[in-house]
Amino acid sequence: MNTKQGTFSGLKLLSTVVVLAALLIPSTGTAQDVAVGQATATVLAILTVTATSALAFGNVYQGVPKPIAKDNADAGVFRIVGEEDADVAIYFQLPDYLATATGDDRMVISFSATDLNVDTTAASTPAGFVATDGWIDQDPHNVTTAADIGSTATDLYLGGEVIPSVDQTAGAYTGDIVLTVAYTGT
Amino acid sequence: MNRSQKHLSSIAGALRRVSVFLVFTLALSASNLVAGVLVAPTVIFLSSDSRTGRMTLQNLGDTPQEVSVFFSFGLPTSDSLGDVRVRLQDSAVTDPKACLDWVRAFPRRLIMPPNGTQVVRFVANPPRDLADGEYWARIVVKTQDATPNIPEPSGEGQITTKLNMVMQTAVMLKYRHGDVFCELELKGASATFRDQIVEVMIDANNVGNASYLGVLSCQLVDATGREVATKRTQLAVYRDMRRRVMIPIPEGEFVRPFEINLNITSKGRTDIAAEDMLYGNDIEYSAVVE
Repeated sequence: MNTKQGTFSGLKLLSTVVVLAALLIPSTGTAQDVAVGQATATVLAILTVTATSALAFGNVYQGVPKPIAKDNADAGVFRIVGEEDADVAIYFQLPDYLATATGDDRMVISFSATDLNVDTTAASTPAGFVATDGWIDQDPHNVTTAADIGSTATDLYLGGEVIPSVDQTAGAYTGDIVLTVAYTGT
Repeated sequence: MNRSQKHLSSIAGALRRVSVFLVFTLALSASNLVAGVLVAPTVIFLSSDSRTGRMTLQNLGDTPQEVSVFFSFGLPTSDSLGDVRVRLQDSAVTDPKACLDWVRAFPRRLIMPPNGTQVVRFVANPPRDLADGEYWARIVVKTQDATPNIPEPSGEGQITTKLNMVMQTAVMLKYRHGDVFCELELKGASATFRDQIVEVMIDANNVGNASYLGVLSCQLVDATGREVATKRTQLAVYRDMRRRVMIPIPEGEFVRPFEINLNITSKGRTDIAAEDMLYGNDIEYSAVVE
């Protein structure tokens, strides 16, 4: 077990202890024949979607396509944290091009039908991912199956490719990758 | 309130705060976060008796986040293969059970500082002639870096790129009015064995006027009655649902044919407070794996 999982489990245990302690308080009060106080602690269910690493193409050159594989250190990494063993629906809205701030030029960006890995163990890295960690070679345009969050979290590793034209205008190009996550069990 | 009561009350309050904090910390510890917002709880319940609700957001990153909150509509639906999806629909929603036109959120746009916390409140103003039942909307929390750094080209003729990661968390909002109930009917179930995986398929129908939230438990046993594997998953049935569950067969000497024991119950949900649960019927079903 790695350090992250250890910390996670420890906190989970501590959280459980606190909840149990809170639930025990009314019986203590009754034993002392004093106030009948309701002491309950509600642990809120959470859903967190974060980008732990942006898909980074860095500098590119005119006429030279630059792919970033999903198992590359520069791949985009998203993490979903939520209810254990709950299923979540995942949708990517991916750009067709990047544009300059003034909008005077744009650069094609593409995502293939195998540019996504889904790591339901959340214990790996883009480079260390293997098929048994989740689902390999998924289509980011159409993630057909709801992902199981697993015991801790689910990570998504996204690759892609930018294709500058031979007369691409020099400058800074930006675009948005939108990830939408929803529980399917609520 | 006497001294003992006050003491108990203060301890309970402190524990409640510590508990919520621990949940937040739990998520924080999970990774080195660049950007993202925690959302809790994952379902908001409103009713004719309590038309307001609240949601807590926390910025987990070390940069300010631009957050917008809006409503959409999308129920879990399944295809013929039993894969469940949630398709969000922002406009032209015609579903009679949609409530996104008469619920409001405050605030709707905000900037959250690093590690900042914000409460978003919801209020419902339903029409007067509303029929009994449950009405639905999706609360979409959209977050992105408030101050994205666009890398400037350092040299003449250089081309730089930057992709902004935008996250949307879609959480269910349910408004209950009058007498509400849920009742699940199992229209069919089957289980097939293929490539060391048992594929369970169930067809269910909710005949109530509220969503059925529950847990689907599958227990696979071999011909001697020995347990082979189990699988537990959350279930939400709004109308019809075809649901597939894949159960990998572990290593071991098991005697075929296998039998699958299914249990569907609205008890045992740990993500929803008991006072918010609408308990429906339980279903048990067994079948031989083909």
